[in-house]
Amino acid sequence: MATNIIDRRRINGPQRSVEPLYAQSGAAAADPFARGRADERALDQVRPIFIKTGPLAAQPAEHEALSSASAASGTAFYEQGKIRISCAVYGPRQGRRSNARAGSFDCDFRYAPFACSWKRRSHVRGADEKEISLILEHAVAPAIRLEAYPKACIDAFVTVIESDGKAATIAAAINCISAALADAGIEMYDSVAACSMGLAGARWVADCAQPEEDAALCSMLIAYMPGADEITYILQHGKTTPEQTDQAVQTCTDMCARVYAVICRYLQSSLE
Amino acid sequence: MAGSVAFAIEAFKRIHPVEFERRFLSQGTRHDGRAPGQFRALSVAKGTISTAHGSSTVRLGNTTVVCGIKAEVCEPDVKTPDEGYLVTNVDLSPMCSARFRAGPPGESAQVASEHLARLFAGGVVDLRELCIESGQAAWVLSADIVCLRHDGNIIDAAVVALMAALEDLAVPAAAVESGVVSADRTKGRRLTLRRRLFPATFTLVDDTCVVADADDAEEQLATAAVLVVVDARGRLANVWKRGAGA
Repeated sequence: MATNIIDRRRINGPQRSVEPLYAQSGAAAADPFARGRADERALDQVRPIFIKTGPLAAQPAEHEALSSASAASGTAFYEQGKIRISCAVYGPRQGRRSNARAGSFDCDFRYAPFACSWKRRSHVRGADEKEISLILEHAVAPAIRLEAYPKACIDAFVTVIESDGKAATIAAAINCISAALADAGIEMYDSVAACSMGLAGARWVADCAQPEEDAALCSMLIAYMPGADEITYILQHGKTTPEQTDQAVQTCTDMCARVYAVICRYLQSSLE
Repeated sequence: MAGSVAFAIEAFKRIHPVEFERRFLSQGTRHDGRAPGQFRALSVAKGTISTAHGSSTVRLGNTTVVCGIKAEVCEPDVKTPDEGYLVTNVDLSPMCSARFRAGPPGESAQVASEHLARLFAGGVVDLRELCIESGQAAWVLSADIVCLRHDGNIIDAAVVALMAALEDLAVPAAAVESGVVSADRTKGRRLTLRRRLFPATFTLVDDTCVVADADDAEEQLATAAVLVVVDARGRLANVWKRGAGA
C-alpha cells in the first residue's frame, strides 16, 4: 500500500497504487529447505559471483578508451546469483571539512524502483536505505587508509538493480564497493569480503535467497578482512543461542575468505 | 615511449578538450575512430531483471541503461475509466557520471523523463489494454530507466530500453472480487504495441560538424542537437531540436 508522494521533479502516476494479491503457488508456500535448496546448492555454498570493473562495454573498444573527465574514479558491477549491484567510487576529492586529519568515506545506497520482489519502491530515500548506507560505511571504512587522504573524501554510490535476499544484498554491496575501491586505486589495508547466512531450524545456510530468508529464523551478515584477520561488521537479526552465533561467525568468516579469493582472483586477472 | 605518448594524449584531452576534439573533427573523423555518421554498437537484452514485470538492458557503446517496469493496481481516472497509466522516469544518479549530484533529479533527468513520457504517451501502448475493470481497477505501469554508465546519448538508449522492456512486459492476469484485486503472475499477457519507435540523435559539435550518436566528450562541446524518432513504417514520430544552429 503506497500513497505516492507527488514529486514535482518526476513524472507522477496516480495518487495511490497498490500491489494486487498474487496467487501463492504451492511450492513457494512450502518450506524452501524441505528438499535441498531451490537452486541445488550445498548448504555452505555461496551463489556464483561475477564482477566487472571499469566500463561495461560488451566488447572491448578497438581504440584505447580514454577516461573522460566525468567518469568515476572506480566502478564495479557485481552479480551474485540474481543480485545485481552497480557501484561508482569518486575520490579522493575535496572533503567537506577542511580541518580534518583523516579522510572520510561516505556511502550512498539506493534500490532501483524495480529492484525488490515485493512492492515497487518509491524514489524518495527510505529509512532502510539510509540505514544500509551507514552499514556499508561502517563495514568498509576500516579497510581504507583514510589517514593517507587528509581533508579528502571518498564517495561511493551504490545502486541495487536487482535484489534477492536483504542480508545477501547488503553483503553483495560490500563486495561491490571493495571491487570499485580497488578499481579506483584507493589505498586500503585489505579488501573487505562479506557474506550472509540464515538459520533454518538448527542449521546455518549460506547466502539465502529471498524465499529462503523469509523462512529463516535468523539472519547474520559478516564483513571480514581475511588478510588482516579482522571482522569489520557483524549484523544479526533474529533469535539464536550464543553457541549458534559462535558457530555462525566461524562458518561465515570461512565463507568470507572464499568470497575474498574470488574478488582477488578477478582483480588480478583484470590487470592482465 | 608508448606510455609517455598515451599520457601526453590524456593530459591534452583533459586540459584542452575543445582543441582535442577539433583535431579530429577537422580531419573528418572522431576521437574514437568513428565516421561522423556512424552510430556505436547497440546491444539489447530483454528480461534481465526477474523482480520486474518487464525489463531490458541496453548498451550503446559505453552508455549502459537498465529499464524495469513494475505493474501495480490503481483506480483509473474518472475521465478515462477504461484506461490505465504508463509512468516513465529517467534516473540519472552520480553512479553513472560525475556530472550528476545525489538527491532529487536534476535538470537533465527531468527533461529526459518529460520528453520520454510525452513520446510514449502518443500511442505506443493502448492504455485501454491496462484496464482490469472499467472504473474500478486498472494497471499502472511504472517504467524506471536507471542509467548505469553515462557516455553520451542517454535519450536514445532510454527510448530503446523502454521499447524493449514494453515488448518484454507480461501483464499478470487479474480479476476483481468484492473490491480486492488478485493477480496471477504465471498467466501473463503481452501488450500489443501499436508502434515501435526507433530514435536517432544528431549533434552539432562545436558549431562545425554534425555527428551521429555523440558520446560524452562530444556532448560537452555540443551547440545543438536534434532527436528524430521514426516508427516501423518510417513515419515521423517525434522531432526534437535543442540548441541554436542552422
